[in-house]
Amino acid sequence: MATLTTTPPSARAPGARADGGAHLRRKKRLFWPFAAPALVLYLAFLVLPTLGTVVLSFTSWAGAGDTPKPNGVTNYTQMWASDSFQYAFRNTLVYVFAGGVGTFALAFLFTMVLRDMRGGKVVRAILFFPNIVAPVALGMFLGFVFKYQPGKQGLANYVLEHAGADAAKFLAPANVTGVVTASLIWASSGFYITILMAAVDRIPPYLYEDAELGGASPWQKFRNITLPMTWDVVGVAGVLWTINALKIFELVFVLAGPGTYAPPNEAWTLGIYVFDRTFGSNGTPDFGAACACAVAMIALVSILVVLLRRVMRRDAIQF
Amino acid sequence: MTRSSSEVRRVPRKPKPAPGSRRFSPLRLLGSVLVWAFTAGNVLVLYWLLTAAFKTPVEIFTKPFALPYQWFHVGKPFRNFVYAWNNAGFGDAVLTTVVLVGLATVATVAVSAPCAYALTRLGVRGSGPLTNVVAIGMGVPFQTVIIPLFVTMSKAHLDNEYGLFLLYVALSIPFTVFLLTGFFRSLPDELEEAASLDGASPARTFFSVMLPLARGGLITALTLNAIGLWNETLLAIVFLKDQAHFTLSRALFTFYGAASYQSEYGGLIAGVAIVVLPMLVLYLVLARRIITGLTLGAGK
Repeated sequence: MATLTTTPPSARAPGARADGGAHLRRKKRLFWPFAAPALVLYLAFLVLPTLGTVVLSFTSWAGAGDTPKPNGVTNYTQMWASDSFQYAFRNTLVYVFAGGVGTFALAFLFTMVLRDMRGGKVVRAILFFPNIVAPVALGMFLGFVFKYQPGKQGLANYVLEHAGADAAKFLAPANVTGVVTASLIWASSGFYITILMAAVDRIPPYLYEDAELGGASPWQKFRNITLPMTWDVVGVAGVLWTINALKIFELVFVLAGPGTYAPPNEAWTLGIYVFDRTFGSNGTPDFGAACACAVAMIALVSILVVLLRRVMRRDAIQF
Repeated sequence: MTRSSSEVRRVPRKPKPAPGSRRFSPLRLLGSVLVWAFTAGNVLVLYWLLTAAFKTPVEIFTKPFALPYQWFHVGKPFRNFVYAWNNAGFGDAVLTTVVLVGLATVATVAVSAPCAYALTRLGVRGSGPLTNVVAIGMGVPFQTVIIPLFVTMSKAHLDNEYGLFLLYVALSIPFTVFLLTGFFRSLPDELEEAASLDGASPARTFFSVMLPLARGGLITALTLNAIGLWNETLLAIVFLKDQAHFTLSRALFTFYGAASYQSEYGGLIAGVAIVVLPMLVLYLVLARRIITGLTLGAGK
């Protein structure tokens, strides 16, 4: 043990052998210096502002130059009655549920096929690609794809017309929710395929070999091996999806909107509602109403995540 | 990319199935067709974006799948890029974005790594619940904290790139701490014990033993944060007023309004390409790390 002679005495408190009490105590003393900076920033920039939002949601406040005046639940009742909030609320739920069903159906189908497919790794990397693109850029890009303007059709209508069909007004207010849902599924499925496939890769291959010898179909293998063995990862992925779909903002704002001001009401999400009431071009700012909608967002994300975790609760399978 | 994850776990070579055991299945066929169609679609989309950035608007809309011709014929193939660069203020924006994202990413990891280490390895009671409290922060949509932050930070004259730096660091902490706790938890205890037997102080153990061991995790955290912050737009829209200090995505957002008004579609697509291509390169270089990092965060 030559090292013992070279260590400075200060580094070795008496009794600090293998797992001695003094060493443990010194480890514990390190906790606050190490953890405090991150925790303080977390507290200052996330926890306190969240509480601030809750408080402000019970005031009427037009923003800068005005002072917040308590007004009870007026913001909430007015918000609930307004068209723009109802559109925003409904669209957000559509994105979370319809988008979620589509994305996970696609991801599950791909896990069935990709596991024993040649070139699966390359396919996964290509499918992940939209996830590294800025949502603003993605929204603009999809805006070109779905553009409707006779003589200057976007990619989607170009293909439709050359297939002999009529061009469609994809981004008309009535269709925009559907188009955004489809775009979301396209853009995000790669992320969930990647996560689920990584869980599938950890399943011991002999299980699949056994099933194959027994003549199981891909569906049977998925139902009896893949799904039960990846259940907890599916749960985490579901929570991630809910969080991400609920705060969707830039993609819709740019895809459905005419430029740097808000898109038509029919296309709104809760995120757009908050933004518009805070900095929007339609009328004066209304920070109180924006905060009420923000609180609704937090409530919705909490409820959905708790529900999802309850539904997904199963005994973990050890392997 | 073909190397991905083979390092993590070498799957034993699959024996060839016995003849006849692998039945034909319509579901498998349908699945394969769908997978390849989807993949081909993504490749096509990327091809369309890259070629359209070199095309005239007429070519973009009437010959979407052809190679660019007009600007090459005229001899100014980069005309759209030059237009976007000059009219969207991308020159300043690139500098701002690289500095801001670079510093914020490094600062985030510098603050989060000790925190993640403290939460996983110092054996302090209550670390587990505290880790969960931090992880919950990943679920808070930015929109919900933006008003109090905007009000207080305007008062403190931090509604500029310095304030944005603080916000980027603070708001990236929940995800980064969560990701890094996964990495630190996976490191073997024996190394830490050996270091303390050799007389290293706990702080020294962290800096010279554990931190280098977690290098893979740190690089993943840096990469994922860099991509996330590079693409961030909402906070930049709210907190940046001065056009000279716009970030790239913020500049693109402003450019969108102006250029679509003038039907400058070639320039717009070139602008999209300028924002997307650096991340594409980063992704191609670091795809393996990005993917293993994501799965470690989610799969543990």
